[in-house]
Amino acid sequence: MHEEVAAYVLGVLDEDENEAFERHLDTCTACQAELKRLVEVPDLLDELKHLPSASEDDRSR
Amino acid sequence: MLLHLDRTFESADAEAEHRIAELYREFGGPLLRHIRRSTGNDLQWAEDVVQETLVRAWRNSARLQWEPGLIWAWLLTVARRIVIDGRRRRSVRPMEVEAPEIDVLAVPDGAERSLSAIVVADALRSLTEEHREVIEQTYLRDRTISEAAEILGIPPGTVKSRLYYGIRALREVLRDKGVAG
Ligand SMILES: [Zn+2]
Repeated sequence: MHEEVAAYVLGVLDEDENEAFERHLDTCTACQAELKRLVEVPDLLDELKHLPSASEDDRSR
Repeated sequence: MLLHLDRTFESADAEAEHRIAELYREFGGPLLRHIRRSTGNDLQWAEDVVQETLVRAWRNSARLQWEPGLIWAWLLTVARRIVIDGRRRRSVRPMEVEAPEIDVLAVPDGAERSLSAIVVADALRSLTEEHREVIEQTYLRDRTISEAAEILGIPPGTVKSRLYYGIRALREVLRDKGVAG
């Protein structure tokens, strides 16, 4: 279960897995600490996503 | 924002409404600033995400007894999931049509990349193929573990495990480069 913390912080678990992991998180201090350490990684990965923004409007052709 | 609440909670008691209004005062501003970036500055969408995040927080209010750093990490994760769900629903691409395998690390012609985007792309390239691949096929493409497992032809448990070691490795590299704490 501990390894799911990465999939959890990225938001890529299925709905039922997500709920099950949150229940695990309620009692697992190791995963709580890991969540805090990893939470900024998806924000940094967002730099690579082609998110819709005004500056990317000219990419459609 | 409270106008939305009236609609959502017509039948909820005043106590619940009061509690959620408190959560707005405490977390609404910081959450909105954080979420706006991932909604491409779509303010209405970002406000909806904040609202849904705080309603979920209220429904799981035992977690609001955690220490502030953990509450914040949890709220950001709840919000991120809501944004991803929304983006999947809004996607103009039909899900059953497989998009061409564009290189998510490639810089589009004419697109300006921020310095941190270049650093993150470099960090991702420094990982092993197995680690980079699961990060690309899940988070960077808005896919779930199950979807990525099917595409990669490996068990979902393997995707989760590789993501765990891959994301930890990525964080270490980013910390060495000075962009992660
Ligand atoms: Zn755990």
